[in-house]
Amino acid sequence: MNYFLHLLILVGLYVILAQSLNLIMGYAGLLSLCHAAFFGLGAYVYVLLVVALHWPFVLALPMSVLAVSLLALPVAFVCLRLRGDFFVLGTMGLQMIVYTVLYNWVDVTQGPYGISGIPKPTILGWEARSIPAFCLLTGVLAGAVCLFCYRLSRIPFGRTLRAIRDDELAAMAIGKNAAWFKAVTFSIGGGIAAIAGALYAGYVSYVDPTAFTLEESIFLVAIVAVGGAGNLRGPVIGAILLLMLPEALRFVQLPDSVAPNVRQLIYGVLLIALMRFRPQGIGGQYAFD
Amino acid sequence: MILQFIADGLCLGFVYGVVAVGFGLIYYSTRVFHLAHGAVYMLAAYSLYLLLAVLNIGLIAAIPSALVIAAGIGIGAEWAVYRPLHRRAASPSVVLISSLGLYIVLVNLVAILAGNEPRVLRPGIEKTVAFGSVVLTRIQIAQLIGGVAVLSGYWFLMERSRLGRLCRAMADNPDLLGVLGGNEGQLRLVAFALGSLLAGIGAVFTSLDIGIDPYIGFPMLLTAAVACIISGVGNFLAPAVGAIALGIIQSVVVYYTSARWQHSVTFVLLIGFLLLRPEGIFGIKKRLEEM
Repeated sequence: MNYFLHLLILVGLYVILAQSLNLIMGYAGLLSLCHAAFFGLGAYVYVLLVVALHWPFVLALPMSVLAVSLLALPVAFVCLRLRGDFFVLGTMGLQMIVYTVLYNWVDVTQGPYGISGIPKPTILGWEARSIPAFCLLTGVLAGAVCLFCYRLSRIPFGRTLRAIRDDELAAMAIGKNAAWFKAVTFSIGGGIAAIAGALYAGYVSYVDPTAFTLEESIFLVAIVAVGGAGNLRGPVIGAILLLMLPEALRFVQLPDSVAPNVRQLIYGVLLIALMRFRPQGIGGQYAFD
Repeated sequence: MILQFIADGLCLGFVYGVVAVGFGLIYYSTRVFHLAHGAVYMLAAYSLYLLLAVLNIGLIAAIPSALVIAAGIGIGAEWAVYRPLHRRAASPSVVLISSLGLYIVLVNLVAILAGNEPRVLRPGIEKTVAFGSVVLTRIQIAQLIGGVAVLSGYWFLMERSRLGRLCRAMADNPDLLGVLGGNEGQLRLVAFALGSLLAGIGAVFTSLDIGIDPYIGFPMLLTAAVACIISGVGNFLAPAVGAIALGIIQSVVVYYTSARWQHSVTFVLLIGFLLLRPEGIFGIKKRLEEM
């Protein structure tokens, strides 16, 4: 039972990450390979507040969201100076820089040793210590994030964003500041990824930089691209599918040394096949054009 | 001491340069942002390992065979993945995600077949030659001479031959090339073969020098792509200049700080260029509607 709940927590975390990346990838149409960096920055800001300054969860979580949103804004303006393929390269570069800083700034992040002993989240005296309790917390937050993303896509902001994605020149011609809308979306997406970062740190009670690599960013892009971008259900489908894949592979009895490679091989093939035959993904609306 | 680091950086820069012009050739002429170029580079190194250390055929036979394999993989990638997308006029993002998928597939295939652990092609210590205070290994001298030779050959091919003119024409306007009687499909295959051959040459230079593992391709690819941006997008030979500069800067950064920051300096430089000179060293400013 706990194993099943553990999987549910993972799905919840990745639904949050995938929904936030979908805002950037699906609604703003910006293929971004630095989402794991926002995820990691969120986790580290949260951990430093909780471990070094003993802040409670209810304060540390919004603070890390705010910090990452503010950090994401200048990042967006720098990367948005590039277009298309080179924008993707710029975000990759940023991902590498954040990873290197987390890894090498030993005084603050303890670098490769990581930070351990992170307390479980406590909300007004209720501590999410047991796995069912943590599952409930993750479920509530994931639900809230889904609702937020759904609302965001319905209000004028979301419609403007899609208009810019589909025809930037036309949107600018009717007076929409495209760069500003994209940058704000980047910032909101980064902030939501920080929620997942804080939850992740609270759940495994240990963080180190190797959880926030470029491979992780690629995995997140794969979730959104496989599940589908541009609507609410796509990222959820992608998160469930790609997280259940390694569990399904357990039954095939692969040797441990190649199991991660087989999993990656499968999602690589999925990406190629979907882009060839169904670029909008399994349940998505936006076909990356 | 600093001279030694600059010399090492120059050797590294020539290897980067060869891979970067290959990436640039593919990107400019076919508009495919070929992330799997990194995988082709890695596969060429593994082919060389297979031929040299496992099958024990000599260096003279192994190097050309590895290069042919690299070109073959490039042709295979175009034929199996990119051509169907090109026929459908797929968007750049779709092509890029496919390329990412192809990179993941190739790297993990090698990891499953050959293992994740590093391999060394030629054990032992390389003989060195001293030039005053600068000491270079024989393979580094080969990198310098080979790099200059390959880049000059490439310059001649692109600027002076019919093939180069066709590639530049395709980069400029692929539809017009077809109208004027060029065979676009065939030329794309040639661009992929030639670009992958250049990646293979880079891989031969590095793998004879240091160890290889399935993940060596990505840092190389990122450096090559950054070299293309900072040199200015559009010029076929310019990436070599950016790549040599990156090699020297990476090496000098190791001298002043430590090897931990060697790869992030590439991206700091990229961001610096984006802020101060987004069109690159040799680039021309473009407006949104021209892209």
